[in-house]
Order: sequence, then structure tokens, then C-alpha cells
Amino acid sequence: MNLKRLKRIRMSALIFLSVIGPGIITANVDNDAGGIYTYSIAGARFGYSLLWTLIPITLALVVVQEMVARMGVVTGKGLADLIREEYGLRTTFILMGLLMVANLGNTIANFAGLASGMGLFGVSRYLAVPLGAFIIWGLVVKGTYRIVERVFLIGCVFYLTYPISGFLAEPDWSRALTSTVVPSIQFDSAYIYMMIALVGTTITPWMQFYLQSAVVEKGIKVKNYIQARWDVILGCVVTDVVAFFIIIACAATLHAGGQHEILDAGHAAVALRPLAGRAASALFVFGLCNASLLSASVIPLATAYYVCEGFGLESGIDKRFYEAPTFYWLYTALIVFSALAVVMLSEANQIPIIVLSQVANGILLPFVLIFMLRLSNRADLMGEYRNSRAFNIIAWTTSLVMIALTLLLLVSAFFPKRLPS
Amino acid sequence: MIYFTEIENLPTFDAKGNDLGRLVDVGVDPSQNSLRVAAFIVRTPQKGTLCITHEQIQSISVRAAVTTCLAGEIRCYGSDEGLIRIKKDVLDQQVIDVNHRKVVRVNDVDFDIQPMERHTELRILAANVGLAGAIRRLLQGLAAKHTLRLISGIFPSTVIPWEYINLIEPDPARRLKLRITFDRLARLHPADVADILEDLSRDEQKAVLESLDDETAAQVLTEIPTHLQAVLLESFSPERAADIVEEMPPDEAADVLQELSPETSAELLADMETEEAKEVRELLAFEENTAGALMTTEYLVVGETATVAGAIEALRNFEGPLESVHVIYLVNPDRVLTGAVPVARILLAESTTMLRGLTTSPMISILAHRGENEVVDLFHKYNLLALPVVDEKGHLLGMVTADDVLELVVNRK
Repeated sequence: MNLKRLKRIRMSALIFLSVIGPGIITANVDNDAGGIYTYSIAGARFGYSLLWTLIPITLALVVVQEMVARMGVVTGKGLADLIREEYGLRTTFILMGLLMVANLGNTIANFAGLASGMGLFGVSRYLAVPLGAFIIWGLVVKGTYRIVERVFLIGCVFYLTYPISGFLAEPDWSRALTSTVVPSIQFDSAYIYMMIALVGTTITPWMQFYLQSAVVEKGIKVKNYIQARWDVILGCVVTDVVAFFIIIACAATLHAGGQHEILDAGHAAVALRPLAGRAASALFVFGLCNASLLSASVIPLATAYYVCEGFGLESGIDKRFYEAPTFYWLYTALIVFSALAVVMLSEANQIPIIVLSQVANGILLPFVLIFMLRLSNRADLMGEYRNSRAFNIIAWTTSLVMIALTLLLLVSAFFPKRLPS
Repeated sequence: MIYFTEIENLPTFDAKGNDLGRLVDVGVDPSQNSLRVAAFIVRTPQKGTLCITHEQIQSISVRAAVTTCLAGEIRCYGSDEGLIRIKKDVLDQQVIDVNHRKVVRVNDVDFDIQPMERHTELRILAANVGLAGAIRRLLQGLAAKHTLRLISGIFPSTVIPWEYINLIEPDPARRLKLRITFDRLARLHPADVADILEDLSRDEQKAVLESLDDETAAQVLTEIPTHLQAVLLESFSPERAADIVEEMPPDEAADVLQELSPETSAELLADMETEEAKEVRELLAFEENTAGALMTTEYLVVGETATVAGAIEALRNFEGPLESVHVIYLVNPDRVLTGAVPVARILLAESTTMLRGLTTSPMISILAHRGENEVVDLFHKYNLLALPVVDEKGHLLGMVTADDVLELVVNRK
């Protein structure tokens, strides 16, 4: 009976996913290993009390993502293309360099997530990481765009494991829902830091580039823009619904059980086991492995896309290796380097790379947001689809808040000791 | 030779050595001379813009530009509208390399300095799309110009002679003014044009297709993915779209009409010539992924009593594409398929020979409602170039050609 229902849910989810596209993939990949860890800590440390931030985060995400999707539909060009054409080669080069550093760190974090997740299933990292790397490498290099997209979409369906494990954790629903709609800010540095980290992990520079390219690649027409906007909004909501369930799963079990510290996302899953049951814990781990593997593929892929876009080189999954060598070499190098880093380096040695990547993300985001705002206001590019005055007020406010928060996160990355224990 | 990266920000002086400002851009007037730099745009120290006509440039080098006259006597070349501005319109933009049939991004532009009787002119030589140009852009202003030449010399330099460059301007009015045409593009193989199109933005794709004649546009369209065909067709007026679809092979036309909304598709069919519309409508009736949906209705058919001479006559009058002339089909008066004759056999036979005697045996055909997998298997098994499609009573309906099967197999991988 239960299995039947699960199957039905999965079926309808599959149909749903076939209708929508770029928004949902971008949004799901956003919940990568780093994201899951951040949400887990938020739940474990602060219980339900940070849930309210998800609503403003979702709104901010919608505002920002809507802008890039609109630019993609109207101009038919990627964000890297537009930046190159408007701001020249040097700006593009610096931006792409930072993006590569940022995304290398993200990819390492995801392979580390895979290693810790598979470790819990009893698979050695020395097997899991190279095997995972080989699979996603082979998929993109040998597969066609259609196959790759299908595999990614199937990966997205498995994010359902989080809502399920959230339900299995039997949270205090009334408290969870109240905390979601009633803001309750705590003026304590640990709380503020956590809040900023939540924003930082949800709104990232690479997403903007990826979403716009995906919208362009999909060939969405201007007259279908309304539907594309719904795809983006749905994607953003889905991201934060997943975040919501991760937070409440950890809040209901770890926080309620007095366990406020976790070392990584895998650790959260272990801690869940005695409190929420084997099934919830296993689903949590499975979700982590899936998210890590999906992001470890999409993020390097996205990087290869924009770098080639910005420099006018051949790119695309449908091209063969010899047709788009830079594209495939970049993808290969990012994956190989990240997988090697996870296998060879101890966790302590991985931290500087991850911090560097956070710093790169932090430096990038303000620039990317400002470029996006300026580009989407250009009448010659956007015509009647340029930002309205009201939208500009919202978008600039959102961006300035985001920039301020990101700079704060950046500062705290340099002083990790300030991280409250 | 001098690079744009070397003249950008070049200090500019008048004949007496007074500082005029810095050179920010140069413009070419394609209506007069498509290679000569016609206007030099200078940013004055007061943040104003000064435009200098080419006849007033005394000399130009990596160190400075000097005018032939005093600051007060400087004339502008003319209005900015008809100028291709190198920094604004060319640098960092996508252009088409007609020679290598691909879309590239311009990193730098190469000029030639040409001393004239009383002034000096700059002529555009080539667009620089390689690593060397990128390095110069990256380090421009950070290292001395001669050092930069040394550094960039290490890297491979890819230059495209200016005459092989096709700028892409989506605005038709400006395209006319700048004399940008896609004539050379139209002479490339449609498959190459299609590859180029796929690298362009929507507006640019539209601009290129708009300028092609119906037949070329149709050939190019059939080479790009169906969903993209639909997007592009919808951006045209229904009349133009119908004209293009009319020129497409009926099977391709049916595919793209299926991708369009039912209203648009009906509108296009209504605008098409009756004969073509009828063929496409018949194809649309077949379910997707069947032999019927895969076939084309442009094929060679003669009565079963025809001779080789009759077949050659039919070949001469055939208007369909070349890939459809591998086989001639024979039908009886009820249009029931009775045989298939490879064109090669006809060429080798006497003109009075009856075609009936030249048919291949066994005659392979397929029912229209059969799946496309069966089509692929038959092609593979019998090494076919074409396969006739029939209905239950054996009436000839159409033909599947090898190129369609190849596409099917490649896309499925």
C-alpha cells in the first residue's frame, strides 16, 4: 500500500519534471552537499528558529533567478556571453577565473559529501570517489545531451527522500509551521552567522550562469516566458521546501535530543538513526549521495560551459571530444582534480580549498548581481522586457542585502575561530 | 601592422602638439570603403568626445596619433550612424568566419598603417580570434606595448582576414545602413549554415534566415533540430513561414508542423500552395514513430509497362531532391506497387528495355503503420538506400530514404 503510494508520487513527479526544466535542475543542484550540511547544522543548532528565513530567501532567489531567466529568453544569449560583450575580455577573464576556483571548491565539497555518504553504507572512499568520478565523467563525455538531461532529472526526483525523512522524523508540525511564518530574530553572533550561511549557500554565482545557459539551450520563446517564469518560481520553492525538510528533520531529532553539533552532512545522518529510525537515516544518506554526485557533475559541467562561452570556444555535450577539446578538458580536469583532492588529502587539508572557494564565491556574487541588474535594465538588449521601476527597487534592495550578507560571510571565512562552538 | 589594443587609449595631439585627449574607438564607413578607418573617436580631457576624419590624421604609431591641423580646425567624418565602430560593434562580439564556416569571438583587430600623400590611413587587415589576441587584451595597459608584443608572440595567433568576416547585426535597418549582407553565407552548404545558426542568439538567427531566399532558408532549416525550426518559423510572418515550409521536403515539413501549435500549423497549411499542403496533410495523418511518419512523398514512380526511356524521361521531369532518385517504383493502374528498379540499372540498360525486367527481387516494402524500428532493421538487413511504404492493399504511399534512417539512428544514440 505504502509502496504503491510512493510509486504513484514518483510517477507524478516524473511527469511534472518533464514539463519543466532549467529552473528545477538548477534549483536542485543548489542543494548540494554543502547546502545539506548547512541546513542540517541550522536545524541541529537552532531547532525550528531559523525556518522563517526560508521565506525571504525564497523570495530573493525568485527575484534574482527570474532576472537571468528573462535575460536568457529575451536575448537568447548566456550570461557569460552578455558579460563578455558588455564588459570586455579582462572582466570576463577575472570573473571566469574566480568562478573556476569557486566551483572547484564546490566540487571537492561534493566529492567529500559522496565519500562520507557512501562511507555510511560501508563503501570505502577509495572505491566510491573514483567510481563516482568515472561514472559522471563517462556520462558527459560519452553521452548525448538528451541522455545527460534525463539522468539529471532522475537525480532530481531522489530529492524526495528529504521530505520523506522529514516526515519520518515526526517533527512538531505546529511549531515548525509557526516558526516558518513568524520571524523570530536572535541577536547573537552564532545565529546571525548561521543566517548568513543559509543565504550564501542558497544564492550562488554559478547558478545564475547555469540557469541562463540552460534557458537558452532549451530554446524557450519570448511568448512562452510566462511559463518559464513559473518554472523558475517552482524551482526556487522546491529548493527551499527541501531545505525546510532537512532543517525540521534535524530540528525534531538532533536539536530536540540535545545534540547540537555535527561535523558533516553524513554525521547528521548517523545522529538521526537512533532518533528518527533506520529508514529516515538511510534516506538521508541516500539523498546526500545523490545530491553530491549530481552536483559534482553539474557544477563542473556548468563551469566548462561558461568559460567556453565567454571565450568563444566550442562547447556542448552533443559535441565530441575532438570538436570541443577545451570544454571537455575543463570538465575532466575539474572532476579529476576534485576527486583526487578528496582521496589524497585529509579533511583538514581540504579546508583551505573550501575556504578559498567560499571567498571566491563571496567576491563574485556582488559583481555578478550588479552586472545582472545593469544588463537587465538595458533597453537595447531587453526592449520591453527590461526591469520595471518597481522590480528594480525590489531587485536592487535584494541585491544590496545579499551583497552585505555575503561580505559578512566573507569576513567570517577569514576568521573561522569566530565560529561559535 | 598595429593592433587595436595598441591604439586604444593612444594619446592624441594636434599639429602644434596640444593634447587632444585619448583615442577610444575608430569607425569604418562601409558605404565608402569597407577597409579604411574613416573616423577616429577621441575622448578629450574635459570628458567630451571629439571625432576626427581620417584625412586629418598626420601620423599614427604605438606612441601617439597626431593630426594635420590645429585643434580648432578638426572636422568630424560624418554621422556616427553609418559607421561600424571597432570597439563597440566588433571587439568581444561574435562574428561569422565564412572561410572556416564557424562562429568566433573577436579578441583584437589588426590594422595596417598606410602613409598617404598628406595624411596617414589605417586599414583593417584581420580579426584576431586566437590566444595571442586574448593575452594582449588581458595585459593591455599593464605592460609596455613592445613587451606585450614579445609576450603575445609566444602564443598561437589565429587571424581571420577581414574579407572573410561577416558581422551579425540583428537590426535590419542598421544592417542595411552598414551594408551587412549574408550573401556569402548563402553560398555555403546548408548544413554548415545550420551549424553556424546554432551558435547564434535568437535575433541573430532570425536576421540570417530572413536574408536567405525561401529555398536556401528551407534547406538550412531542415538541418537544425526540429524544436529550433519551430521557434524560428514562429518568429516570421505566417506568409513567409508558409513560403519556407513549402520549400521543405514534405516529411520535414510535417515534422516541424507537428512541433508548432495547432493554430499556427493550420494557418501555415492554409497559406501554402494546395498541392504541397495536401502532401503534408497526408503525412500528418500518420502516427509518430511509424514508417508513414518517416516517409517522404517525393519519389519517382512510373507505370509498370514503362521502358527505360520512359524512366529517363521521368527522371528528367523529377523536381524532388537528389537523395530521392536512387530507385524508381513501378505501379499498376490501381497504384499498387509492383516493383522497384535501382537507377543504376536503368543507366546501364538499353532504352527499349522494359523496366519490369530490371526490378530487384525480392521487393522489400513496409506497411505505413509499422514502427520505425522495423524500418531501421530492413535498411540494415538488405543494405537499402530507399524503402517504399505501402498501405494494406499494397498502394504505394511514399518512400523512406537512407538519410532519414541515418538521422534516426544517430539521434537515438
